[in-house]
Amino acid sequence: MEKDTRDKWDSPTQFVLACVSYAVGLGNVWRFPYLCQMHGGGGFLIPYLLMLLLEGVPLFYLELAIGQKMRLGSIGAWTAINPYLGGLGLASVVTSVYLCLYYNIINAWSFWYLFHSFQDALPWAACPINANRTGPIEECERATPTQYFFYRETLNISSSIEENGGIHTGQALCFLLAWLITYLFIVKGVKSTGKVVYFTATFPYVVLLIYLIRGITLHGAINGVKYMFTPRMEQLANPTTWINAATQIFFSLGLGFGSLIAFASYNQYHNNFERQAIVVSLINSGTSIFSCIVTFAIYGFKATVNYENCLERTRTLLLNAFSLAEDSITMDNIFEWVTKLNTTYPEQIADLQDKLEVCNLERELNTAVEGTGLAFIVYSEAIKNMPLPQLWSVLYFFMLLLLGMGSMLGNVTAIITPLQDFKVVSHMSHELLNGVVCLLCFLLGLGFTTTSGNYWFAMFNDYGATFSLLFIVLIEVTIISYYYGIKRFEKDIEDMLGHRPNWYWKIMWAGVSPLLLIGLFIFYIVNYIQGGTPTYQAWNKDLGKSEQTDYPGFGQAFIGLLLVSSVSCIPLTALYVFCQKRGQQKQEKQQRTVGTAEASGLDREEN
Amino acid sequence: MLKRIFLVICFLVICLPSALAAQLCIPNAPEACQVRLSIKTALGEKAYEWNEHEKFLFRAAMAFAMRKHKEQEFSLSDIILCNETVRVSFWFVVTSPLNPSVLVERKDIEKAVSKFRHRINGAFLLSDTTLEFVNIYPTLAAPVVPNTPPWLIVFGVVIGLIGAGIVFLLTSTIVQKRRKKQQKAEEGDEDIEELEAKTVENGSTSEGVYNTTFSDDDRFTQM
Repeated sequence: MEKDTRDKWDSPTQFVLACVSYAVGLGNVWRFPYLCQMHGGGGFLIPYLLMLLLEGVPLFYLELAIGQKMRLGSIGAWTAINPYLGGLGLASVVTSVYLCLYYNIINAWSFWYLFHSFQDALPWAACPINANRTGPIEECERATPTQYFFYRETLNISSSIEENGGIHTGQALCFLLAWLITYLFIVKGVKSTGKVVYFTATFPYVVLLIYLIRGITLHGAINGVKYMFTPRMEQLANPTTWINAATQIFFSLGLGFGSLIAFASYNQYHNNFERQAIVVSLINSGTSIFSCIVTFAIYGFKATVNYENCLERTRTLLLNAFSLAEDSITMDNIFEWVTKLNTTYPEQIADLQDKLEVCNLERELNTAVEGTGLAFIVYSEAIKNMPLPQLWSVLYFFMLLLLGMGSMLGNVTAIITPLQDFKVVSHMSHELLNGVVCLLCFLLGLGFTTTSGNYWFAMFNDYGATFSLLFIVLIEVTIISYYYGIKRFEKDIEDMLGHRPNWYWKIMWAGVSPLLLIGLFIFYIVNYIQGGTPTYQAWNKDLGKSEQTDYPGFGQAFIGLLLVSSVSCIPLTALYVFCQKRGQQKQEKQQRTVGTAEASGLDREEN
Repeated sequence: MLKRIFLVICFLVICLPSALAAQLCIPNAPEACQVRLSIKTALGEKAYEWNEHEKFLFRAAMAFAMRKHKEQEFSLSDIILCNETVRVSFWFVVTSPLNPSVLVERKDIEKAVSKFRHRINGAFLLSDTTLEFVNIYPTLAAPVVPNTPPWLIVFGVVIGLIGAGIVFLLTSTIVQKRRKKQQKAEEGDEDIEELEAKTVENGSTSEGVYNTTFSDDDRFTQM
């Protein structure tokens, strides 16, 4: 029987670790702390945990149930429910393809930073010297050394999405390495994935713990942690807070890509996925909160260091301008001195105004950053100030790599599992199919290593998977609740687990989650329409900072293509299946008429 | 009378140079350079006090730098300091050894300082930032460029390991498959041997022609 020859996880632990490895990814580290900071610190936990309860856990449970019951990838599973729904699985696969294309570039950057950490002086610690050896490179002076290293030496970024240079060879090499490692991890399907996830799921926690201890003991870290935990409850009145909490839970769990269905399809039929769903969702949210504490400790340290450097510069300026003895101004009395000098020598202070900076700790703490900016710029800036920075740098980027690779395992499995269900492909060996998929993704993804690659990356990141996933999961939960039927679904679960899901699950699936998703969906559409021309952050090398720029015509067209291409799979496949069936019916009719014609012909002959 | 004249001449001889020197060293003059020392910042507790002896050392160091740069016999009296502050900053001018009333041009001083900056810094246990010659920018040390960038070495090691891993996994899969095929082929052979043995057994007792219809040979009846 086909089902018996399907691969299986060696143990339920492997399945749980695979789900944890997939769900706990870079978003937990670089998106959640940002949201926490933007939406009221500790107070953000209220909408976050509420959304976990209302949509996170029920939808996670739903996808695992579908996968374990159908024992097929996303396309096969939905086709089994109803042939017209195959498009839903196909939309998941298309979205997964987009994700695979651009996600591995982050791993390439992590590799780049990791390899560059094996140096005496970290390359992002100080500005490189210009050709005349008179001072640092201008672009680096206007920005900061960490920004220069990321935008110029890592990405060699062009000034807009329209300008394109060649491929950055270092990047391309790291990208190749990232895909080779992905291939190595998935080459034998769940047999190899199952062993790898023991490491990719657990080691990041070791690093996070080490960083927590290191972070809290850093000078000034307490400022950051205090800042995070002071709740600003007025933010809860802002609807964006609730919407961001809902979207964060949704994307953080990785729903809708088909990865969970794929992973669950390799389970034993009677595996207790209900408990596992709750455990994984709780671990995922717990990790977000944990990494939030670490990030804020690091923020606090960085803000304090910057603030003290600012004070030091002000002190030197005052000492030099008024020729005071070196030990007269110290960190403690610097503000008194400023006011004293302001009253005694107001004109000289006025002359210094353009050089005199305003040093404000609150302002340093308020700079909220998310995404690659947080991971690669802010964190590396904090690391360079720590004692023994090479060690901390290696640890940190290795953790980022594990988080990214763990998520990649799920992404690639989401593509390969449905493909293997097709008879055409099932004759190919695991290794060959995986190799072909990895090679294709690598070649297509090389575009992200060009000089404008980061802008394309941002486009894919913002539009490639967000909208389509909401749509896919909304359709999923509606189909299961109203077409397949809650009663039938209950029976299936009873068959697998031995007991029916209780009223909480049923209310969530039938009522709360679909309503929440519809709300999110409408909000996204309204936001998109109201937002005007979509914009991106372009790096201006003359000013040394990012500026908001409009997407050009072809950029907007491509965004439209990204959004439409995955969503349209659903109606198009339904149409295709409809036409196929019609064609089949016609053929059957013709055969029957031929048969009856022959029969009647024979009768006539006999007569 | 003679005594008074003698005293006046002595007075002029002693005081004139310093008066002249004071006139030559004017802050913000085109030939004057400002120097700023941050001894406490650089040395912390081991900081020394800025006094006459340190000033003497400075003049000696500057005279040394000018000697080496211009290859003229500069002496201590050619370096004139003025306008000292508590910051520990002061101005200085350099007079030419050939004519004490002529000042050396600023650009010569700048070149001399740039060339022998490290020697002057060393004399005071300071660095380019803590012994600051205002408006004379230090030439920064050339960056050390290794033959192979270090990241490439680590990259090479990692990709070598990964490549070896992939090759190992793929070859072990191929080897396993071949073994399975061989096993299947061997099992197939054994079946044939078993059947032949059975038919031979039955046919050895010469009781007649063996009726194969009832033999265990399933192969022929299976579709």
